[in-house]
Amino acid sequence: MSQVEHHQTGLAYWRSLEQLADTPQVRALVEQEFPGYDASSIATTSRRKFLKIMGAALALSGLTLTGCRRWPKEKLVPHTVSPQGSVPGALEMYATNWEQGGVAHPLLVTSFDGRPIKIEGNPTHPFSWTIKDKMGSADAFAQASVLEMYDPQRSRYVVDRRGSAPKETNWEAFAGFAKTHFAGLKNNPGTFAILSESSSSPSAQDMKKRLLAVFPQAKWYEYEPVSRDNEVEGSRLAFGKAVRTRLNIDKAKVVVSLDADLLGTHPAHVRYAGDWAQRRRSGDEGEMIRVYMAEAGFSVTGTVADVRIAVDPSRLYVIGAAIAGAVGVNIGDQKGEPKLTDLEKKFVEGAIADLKAAGSDAIVTAGPSAAPVVHALAHAINAKIGAAGKTVTLLEDPAGDQPTHIASITALTKAIDAGQVQTLLILGGNPAYDAPVDLAFEKALAKVANSIHLALYDDETSRLCKWHLPRAHYLESWGDARAWDGSAGITQPLIEPLFGGKSVIELLAMLAGDEVSTGEAIVRRTWKDQFIRGGDFERDFRRALEAGLLYNTGYKTVTANVTATSFAAPAAGKGFYIKFQADSHTYDGRFANNGWLQETHDPITKLVWDNAAIISVADAKQLGLDYGDIIKIEVGGRFMEIAAFPQPGQPVGVITLPLGYGRTAAGHVGDKLGFNTYSIRASGAPFVASDAKVTKTGAKYTLATTQTHDLIDEVGAKGREDRIGKKGETGVIVREATLKEFKKDPEAPHAKSEGHLSLQLFNGVTDKMRDPHAWGMAVDLNTCIGCNACVVACYAENNIPIVGKDQVLMHRQMNWIRIDRYFKGAPEDTSIEVVHQPMMCVHCENAPCEQVCPVAATVHDTEGLNTMVYNRCIGTRYCSNNCPYKVRRFNYFDFHSKDPRTGAGEPWVGMPDTQQREQIDPIKAMVFNPDVTVRMRGVMEKCTYCTQRLSRAKIAKRNAANAAGKPDQAMLLDGEVMTACQQACPTQAIVFGNLNDKNAKVTQLHLKNERAYDVLGELNTRPRTRYLAKLRNPSDETAATTKDHG
Amino acid sequence: MSEQDSTSKRFVFPRWANYALPGIVLMVLGGGLYLPVALGLGASPKTTAVGYAPTQPIPYSHALHAGKLGIDCRYCHTTVESAAFAAIPPTQTCMNCHASIKTDSPYLAPLRESWKSGKPVEWVKIHDLPDYAYFNHSAHINHGVGCVSCHGRIDQMDVVAQAMPLSMGWCLECHREPEKHLRPLDKVTAMGWKATEHPIAKEKNITDPVEAQLAVGKALKQEYRIHDINYMQACYTCHR
Repeated sequence: MSQVEHHQTGLAYWRSLEQLADTPQVRALVEQEFPGYDASSIATTSRRKFLKIMGAALALSGLTLTGCRRWPKEKLVPHTVSPQGSVPGALEMYATNWEQGGVAHPLLVTSFDGRPIKIEGNPTHPFSWTIKDKMGSADAFAQASVLEMYDPQRSRYVVDRRGSAPKETNWEAFAGFAKTHFAGLKNNPGTFAILSESSSSPSAQDMKKRLLAVFPQAKWYEYEPVSRDNEVEGSRLAFGKAVRTRLNIDKAKVVVSLDADLLGTHPAHVRYAGDWAQRRRSGDEGEMIRVYMAEAGFSVTGTVADVRIAVDPSRLYVIGAAIAGAVGVNIGDQKGEPKLTDLEKKFVEGAIADLKAAGSDAIVTAGPSAAPVVHALAHAINAKIGAAGKTVTLLEDPAGDQPTHIASITALTKAIDAGQVQTLLILGGNPAYDAPVDLAFEKALAKVANSIHLALYDDETSRLCKWHLPRAHYLESWGDARAWDGSAGITQPLIEPLFGGKSVIELLAMLAGDEVSTGEAIVRRTWKDQFIRGGDFERDFRRALEAGLLYNTGYKTVTANVTATSFAAPAAGKGFYIKFQADSHTYDGRFANNGWLQETHDPITKLVWDNAAIISVADAKQLGLDYGDIIKIEVGGRFMEIAAFPQPGQPVGVITLPLGYGRTAAGHVGDKLGFNTYSIRASGAPFVASDAKVTKTGAKYTLATTQTHDLIDEVGAKGREDRIGKKGETGVIVREATLKEFKKDPEAPHAKSEGHLSLQLFNGVTDKMRDPHAWGMAVDLNTCIGCNACVVACYAENNIPIVGKDQVLMHRQMNWIRIDRYFKGAPEDTSIEVVHQPMMCVHCENAPCEQVCPVAATVHDTEGLNTMVYNRCIGTRYCSNNCPYKVRRFNYFDFHSKDPRTGAGEPWVGMPDTQQREQIDPIKAMVFNPDVTVRMRGVMEKCTYCTQRLSRAKIAKRNAANAAGKPDQAMLLDGEVMTACQQACPTQAIVFGNLNDKNAKVTQLHLKNERAYDVLGELNTRPRTRYLAKLRNPSDETAATTKDHG
Repeated sequence: MSEQDSTSKRFVFPRWANYALPGIVLMVLGGGLYLPVALGLGASPKTTAVGYAPTQPIPYSHALHAGKLGIDCRYCHTTVESAAFAAIPPTQTCMNCHASIKTDSPYLAPLRESWKSGKPVEWVKIHDLPDYAYFNHSAHINHGVGCVSCHGRIDQMDVVAQAMPLSMGWCLECHREPEKHLRPLDKVTAMGWKATEHPIAKEKNITDPVEAQLAVGKALKQEYRIHDINYMQACYTCHR
């Protein structure tokens, strides 16, 4: 029986279809402690076997005398000559830039004794700050890239595959080959081609010019599987030339997005999310931005849009044209065009009314999967309403007159097939895996006589090339890159290449026979030529290096007139639409071997370790699909089988296929996971394919999604009913109101709640805080977008292990902070509402965990932290059972040394339980934060409010105060210490600080903000983390419709 | 399956069961012996590593350098006031003098080798806290805890040995009663400092060293704003 067919509980907020349906199966699941694992298997173990195992364990534990010996001898190894200013054990920060898809992400990297261990956003860079309170933020990918650098499976050797068997060799061998081969090429031009990733690096562009000067007839191609081709084409259509748009969301009152995920996946999303949040926080003053979203699948932006409509991709044009026509754009004859449906009509009418009211304070934008003409329409509307030049800045596009990525890779494949390419140099990327399937690029590649691939991993493409060259990670090499607005920044190495790799510019210099060979020299030369002309070069270069960017180097602003006169409808398809998009774990597949990202739940599906075909609830019902049912998708004469994932809010008739899975040479962590959706992605329809056929195969696949975790069982539900009656079903965990309601009555978000409860056991006892610091946190549901930046930040900061899919299925994942995504409404309603709620230990003053620990392993400290003492913990897990927030994590295994891809085997024997030091890969161990204990098997752990950061900051402040002779000024000021999640949050939804400081932001939010409430406050836990209720800002028309559904 | 066969017959205790009673008596008596032995061994200096003095690659004498020559601790351990770690000096620091002094001493051969090759001298760590305890030198040095309180009379050690147990109980003794150990900031590295020399003790004319320390320590505890006992023995103060 399909679970999606039931919905009878009447819960206002629910996290999964199973929970809403409340089928007997789900109830059984909730009752199990470790779903998927049969605990009774232990009971059936014979008495003899049990005694044997226990006896052996006892004897072994006695033999090793673990308790009675000094721990291993340690060495103190100083420098021979200390670098100036180096302090062992002190954290150092360096600004750098990381490029993804041709756009720089400005970063601040924390280095400990020469090891980069943590990545944050660069607070001085306009593309990772949020204007008002400068705070650098970096997204999940950027933060997880540090783990990529310490991936033991990154390639360590030059691999020579010219012979019958691959041979591990070194750079000298390649240099020998290159010298003779490329010298020969000079006399035999025209057969040399280069395939590069998208790159905005001025030095790479310069090296490209120099290489092409040496090999004038060489051809340069660029390919990126997740590109913004449609956007560039759209601007060409509108203006007659490629133009880049930079949105000023901080100035906008209304944003109408046609499938553009501005806050989640746009290259400038960190900045956009910050700007959006600022316009959202103003809700407290009664004025808030309104975001209209018409999209063909759930995106991060869609989940927080005020007015959302789910449509198939062909409708984006219809909606765009209707809006354009209404604001006065001449869109030509629309008679033959399809009419708007009722829902679309309401959406469009609301948008038009708001656009007209907002005038030039509005933005219309389109996303990468929208057809070019939709982008052109957006440009035309922006021009008409006066937004262009105000909320929308047009910049020169560096893509200029370049062909699209798809055209480029198609041309290259054709050239190879025509025998015109004898030497192919591939700089990064993985085209053998991710090129459009109809090109059969991997077959073409095998035909090239001399193919060379520079890559981080010996991947699918490298295995088909004659040479694989190890690439230096961006944290290991010099380079530069330009942010979305073109601001140029330098990439500086934090560490010598671990495995002897070279960067792109170094390889190009080597092949071009350049007079400079090191990355640093190349970057310096480029910057001297292009950016710092005249003046004191050394001084200005160092300043740019320190700041992470050189100011006033952005792309030039252009004024472009919309020259397009007709906006013809794109050819409409029928049947199922397929939408391809980057995956939240692996992006385009490049992060497949990154355990942190694999185990970070997807913002919407909450899937881990897999991708799946995301299908609407109505379609799933029609096809009789449940979670994990394998479906066969046929499109364009190709087919693939993939597990289905029924998703509320997904438009009917559209299947979203995340890219980046099903890899075969990603490395041990990422191989053979999920489904390779590139296998049906053709060059004719790289973003959206239509006319797909979907059939159920009857096969089943197990998907691991955390949306079913921590459901309340019968006992808990009954207990709750006794306390607060039926209110538990209308929302005591999540609170929200519309802006209108909130303006009328500030208590509106709390109307359906149980009211505040703070009972004291003894009269007269107040929460007087003795210490100068009393830590607290505020989490704003109004600005949280569920982007996962905080989750990855916590992984990196707190040495949290990954556990693997089999353990996640048993609810054993270890992330200290999770983001609960709640749905509100009926599952078939495609405009269903969503709330993201980050949840981590809320540090109850009246903590239920502390009351049940038999060994006092979790106790309070004087600053209000609920401390967890690993060495006292004996692993009863009582605390976790008694925690109403379900935020405690237990180390069932020594997860750091356990291989995430192999099952645990028999639960009580054969588990990795030797000394950790011997088991954890020494390269992997380099990413550990030395300020945080690496937990052992058998202990509980949870959020500590980043106590290591607090200690560091407090000690530094007290030392400074004492040194200045003012020991009474040792209290940390607001902003002097930040938790990792707070620092990572692009929208500043997480605010942390000292509640004893009346002026601290967190104190203001706790005491003065009317939206503040305690989650599960009725339990009298008195949490130190308070939540701020969500506000929605629906237009009046759409408010009526959502009420109908709600 | 033989167990099941035997159930059909009448059960007879095997012969060894005759020794069971004396065995049990022995074990009970032994238990009385076991406890003192286990506790005694657990608390012995050998277990707590007091006196641990491993052989170092160079027989560097603190008694000579810090004691006789009177070089201040911070000449070599430069970061002790500013960082969690008290830096071990780089080869360069040694060579500041030994480039011209004792240039052909055989004991210094590893040093010269290090200077020539650029490979560091690998010293054996003596004061080695467990990885889950986060000791911060600067927090102690800047609040009047002298080197000698934890490291003993380094200036009298030819071979450095661990002087104190460095156990949690020992740490807490001071965290609970810091006044017994506090001294003025400018005397932190002074090995032979006596509380009786302090103006407070002189003013009150206290000659008993314990009482003098208490008087001085209590005053300094106020002056340096040392945390109260609850903070000082909270878990997260040392464990993270």
